[in-house]
Amino acid sequence: MPASSPAHKPRRKANKGDIDKLRAPAFPLAAFLWPARTSLSQWEVLPLVLMVVGLFRWAAGLWGYSGFQRPPMFGDYEAQRHWMELTTHLPISQWYFHDLEWWGLDYPPLTAYHSWVLGKVGSLINPEWFALVSSRGSHDPTLKIFMRATVIVSEYLVFIPAVTVFVRRFSRLSDISIWTSNLALVAILMQPSLILIDHVHFQYNTVMLGFVVASMSSMLAERYMWAAVLFVAALGFKQMALYYAFSVFSYLLGRCITTGINPTRLVGIALVTIVSFGVLVLPLALGALYDKQRGIDPSPELKLQGAAPFIANYISPDHFYYPIFEQLGQMVHRVFPFARGLFEDKVANFWCTLNTVIKLRNYPVHLLQKAALVATFASILPPNIILFLRPRKSALPPAFAATAWGFFLFSWQVHEKSVLLPLMPMTLLLAGKHGMSGEVRAWVGFANLLGAWTMFPLLHRVDLRVPYAVFTLLWAYLLGLPPTSWSAPFQEGQSQVVQWGTALLQGTFYATMAAWHVVEAFVEPPPGKPDLWVVANVGVGAAGFFICYLWCIWRLLRETGFVPKGAKVKTKTQ
Amino acid sequence: MRPDRDAYDQTIDARCSKSTDFEVHRNWLAITNSLPLSQWYYEKTSEWTLDYPPFFAYFEWLLAHVARLVDPAMVRVYNLGHDSWETVYFQRFSVIVTELLLVYALQMFVDSSPLQSKRAAQVAALSVLLSPGLLIIDHIHFQYNGFMYGILVASLVLARSKSTLLQSGLVFGALLCFKHIYLYLAPAYFVFLLRAYCLSARSIFRIKILNCVKLGLGLGGIFAAAFGPFALMGQIPQLLGRLFPFSRGLCHAYWAPNVWALYSLADRVLIYCECADCCSRDSTANQGTSLTNVLVVAPKLGLPLKAEALNSVTRGLVGDTAFAVLPEVTPRVCFALTLLFQVLPLIKLFRRPTWENFIGAVTLCGYASFLFGWHVHEKAILLVIIPFSLIALRDRRHLSAFRPLIVAGHVSLFPLIFTSAEFPIKTIYTVFWLVLFLISLDRMAPASNQPRVFLLDRFSTLYIAVSIPLIAYTSLFHQVIFGKRLEFLPLMFTSSYTAIGVVGSWVGYMVVYYTC
Repeated sequence: MPASSPAHKPRRKANKGDIDKLRAPAFPLAAFLWPARTSLSQWEVLPLVLMVVGLFRWAAGLWGYSGFQRPPMFGDYEAQRHWMELTTHLPISQWYFHDLEWWGLDYPPLTAYHSWVLGKVGSLINPEWFALVSSRGSHDPTLKIFMRATVIVSEYLVFIPAVTVFVRRFSRLSDISIWTSNLALVAILMQPSLILIDHVHFQYNTVMLGFVVASMSSMLAERYMWAAVLFVAALGFKQMALYYAFSVFSYLLGRCITTGINPTRLVGIALVTIVSFGVLVLPLALGALYDKQRGIDPSPELKLQGAAPFIANYISPDHFYYPIFEQLGQMVHRVFPFARGLFEDKVANFWCTLNTVIKLRNYPVHLLQKAALVATFASILPPNIILFLRPRKSALPPAFAATAWGFFLFSWQVHEKSVLLPLMPMTLLLAGKHGMSGEVRAWVGFANLLGAWTMFPLLHRVDLRVPYAVFTLLWAYLLGLPPTSWSAPFQEGQSQVVQWGTALLQGTFYATMAAWHVVEAFVEPPPGKPDLWVVANVGVGAAGFFICYLWCIWRLLRETGFVPKGAKVKTKTQ
Repeated sequence: MRPDRDAYDQTIDARCSKSTDFEVHRNWLAITNSLPLSQWYYEKTSEWTLDYPPFFAYFEWLLAHVARLVDPAMVRVYNLGHDSWETVYFQRFSVIVTELLLVYALQMFVDSSPLQSKRAAQVAALSVLLSPGLLIIDHIHFQYNGFMYGILVASLVLARSKSTLLQSGLVFGALLCFKHIYLYLAPAYFVFLLRAYCLSARSIFRIKILNCVKLGLGLGGIFAAAFGPFALMGQIPQLLGRLFPFSRGLCHAYWAPNVWALYSLADRVLIYCECADCCSRDSTANQGTSLTNVLVVAPKLGLPLKAEALNSVTRGLVGDTAFAVLPEVTPRVCFALTLLFQVLPLIKLFRRPTWENFIGAVTLCGYASFLFGWHVHEKAILLVIIPFSLIALRDRRHLSAFRPLIVAGHVSLFPLIFTSAEFPIKTIYTVFWLVLFLISLDRMAPASNQPRVFLLDRFSTLYIAVSIPLIAYTSLFHQVIFGKRLEFLPLMFTSSYTAIGVVGSWVGYMVVYYTC
């Protein structure tokens, strides 16, 4: 730890002249928390808030999950359950080799360890849930309850504490009252896409996102090595955290260089990062050696599959350290599937949209890969250079969001659920300066509603229209966003032109979204083009996300002072 | 603004598991829709026969007209256990829509409150609307209590102003024709209307004839509308037989937290004491043997033991309760006790017929019937909680009697929902509601202008504190420690704990009622 780190700042009194306290509630969420405004201590409000968001999560979980009663492969739920099955039954060296056709493990080690723990706990309750092979595709209703509970418990252990602490620190940074930061907390925790994907569709994104938020929160507290450790944990849970890696890197590097050269800190961060990666893969490496000693073959079914032949070219299988390389090589091979296509299914990013105009299938794969690489770099370099040059704390969320948008829009192998990654830091902006005021609320809300909307085809496929409607409309209602209220862009702070511009731009998108829902529900797509509605969804989504990307960059420029704050710039989103 | 949150929560709960009451109401939709009026109270294809008064049957008849459009299969009598998703959505949604009546009634209550207690009234109204009791009973378990309590609240609020006393009585009369459980509250209405409406305010010997006629004609009209058609067909005995099934047992289930729960608990304890002897001779392993070692309170009491009653109560199933040691309780005893404890508060109401006293008397009538009634269901606790909510914020003394009641009353509803999927919803929602409203009621209640009578506050704080380990034990630790064995134990703990709370708050409130 750097000695200069003022880890515990004296608690500042909330600004007495806080404008939020004087007005009437501007949107329903503020009205709900209005009674807590005056004297309720945050220790009374916080448990209540956590109980309510927990209730909504659990109630959402009563709905079906992805792949429910959909043989032969089922879905993400079966994948997660299967990993619990294989990690608890197989020796560690076989985890990344076992039956790759049936949801082979393709997440980094921390997910595997997490599955192992959950599998062990679950086996205590009912061993049949995770019996090897025979439990595949299990639809035991009690198992579902257990699985839902594991998502919630994992979230309450990682994501929710991280967000709570982050919101506190971030809002203290700009002298925002506790009450306003509570509003932001509720808004962030009620984010519809997150609930829909994790608690309805079924995944553990919140664990990874929670580590990222915790890492950002450590950056706010100026504990850079902790930030590095936590980010490694995020990467170790889900490789998707790489979307943020550049921002983490630029911020930490900037903090070591541009704000005064500090080589000890730089070396410290580098060492800590390497050590944490080491610790992360240590069980896997040791397990590989141990199993080799016991004479257990990592892949008894098939000799030399996956990455093994490639590694065998360089290291002789006779070396004592060969199993480690074989194991880690296989892990990396599983985690980063370069062999897959440019995009999967229909996803609202640049490539998928472009595909509707030009058939990308006709181009060679390596060319597309290069194009994706160049486009991604072009989109993420600006925010990261800005962050490196002026690594300010308040610039963290917009920089993270812009980088993640860049990745989402332009990178290789994007899944529609990846939209959660840019949405998370962007939603954190609500806790910042003027976070709950009109402009930020309108944009953050726009991105979130659009994000949930692009996931509708995914949810629709598994009959989850009702939770989709309830959670998005509830969130829109709470934050005073369309379709329940059109007033958000018209609150204080900006010039008339910008306000009207924002309202018109977003209004167009909202109207399109609404119209799309009507069309999708009542009009059959023309023969020969069964995917037309989905493609339309993707196109509109990609355009909207690109605007969000630009807005995040604009926001970043303002936070870092490259553009003076409060300047009336009309060319906001052009 | 808050109702919206509630409604969303309830919409989501549409996915929850369905209880027998869901099928009960579906069956009633089918009966009223497909059969002529004359057969409504005779039909018995399903075991869930129509046993609510005629207005409720008419209400189901109206609903069935919409239901038929939603899913025609829903309204066929022989279609037992039908639960297509349309049926589920329709039924759940009908509960939410009809509950709007409660929202309206509570708004009436807030509007009728004087200016200085407006905020307190809003808090009280919200506490009723968001009540976990309604959530558990109506939206998870499935019943239509929301709108009927709406009618009750409306009637109670109408009684607040002299000019709407008549409407209040008539609305209550109509409510009786929806669900006859409200008969328990009728004595308070009778005395209050008699004194405040039918008799002159100055002297009880001056009768206001015109008012009597208006009330009599109004009530007569309402009852004629409800029962008239059946009376013409000569079905009244059959109807009454359905409405008042006296063949049912004393305790509806083991856990309704009233005096009889404590009574049967005492009985059980005595059994174990008796068994300490028998078991040494006879090794019949009944569930109590492990407890006998603990409960050596009275080694031998010399009371006769009825062998067939030994294992009947412990399981907490619906059915007859038999007491092994203590004397049997007859309906007559229940009735006498109920009436006695109803009459006591009514005397004060008769002498000072203010609105506050009226609500107090309604609450105490609810208490008496809940605590001493025959075949009381734990759901009936709302009959006490909801009227009490309207006056709980008068001052701190009322509040301190109210607090153990809401804790006990809502915890006692937990066994109603036993599936693990709904378990977190009922527990967390109830805890949330209790924390929120214990805090906000505490802030809202003005200080009393009279000294405290006894240490009720300390008692209730201690009592509330005990609920935390109790909930944790009954819902979690018991299963971890004992698994499936000794299933009656958590039920018995819940039942005795909540019974103590309800009885305690009743005693506390009696004191407050008579001294203020």
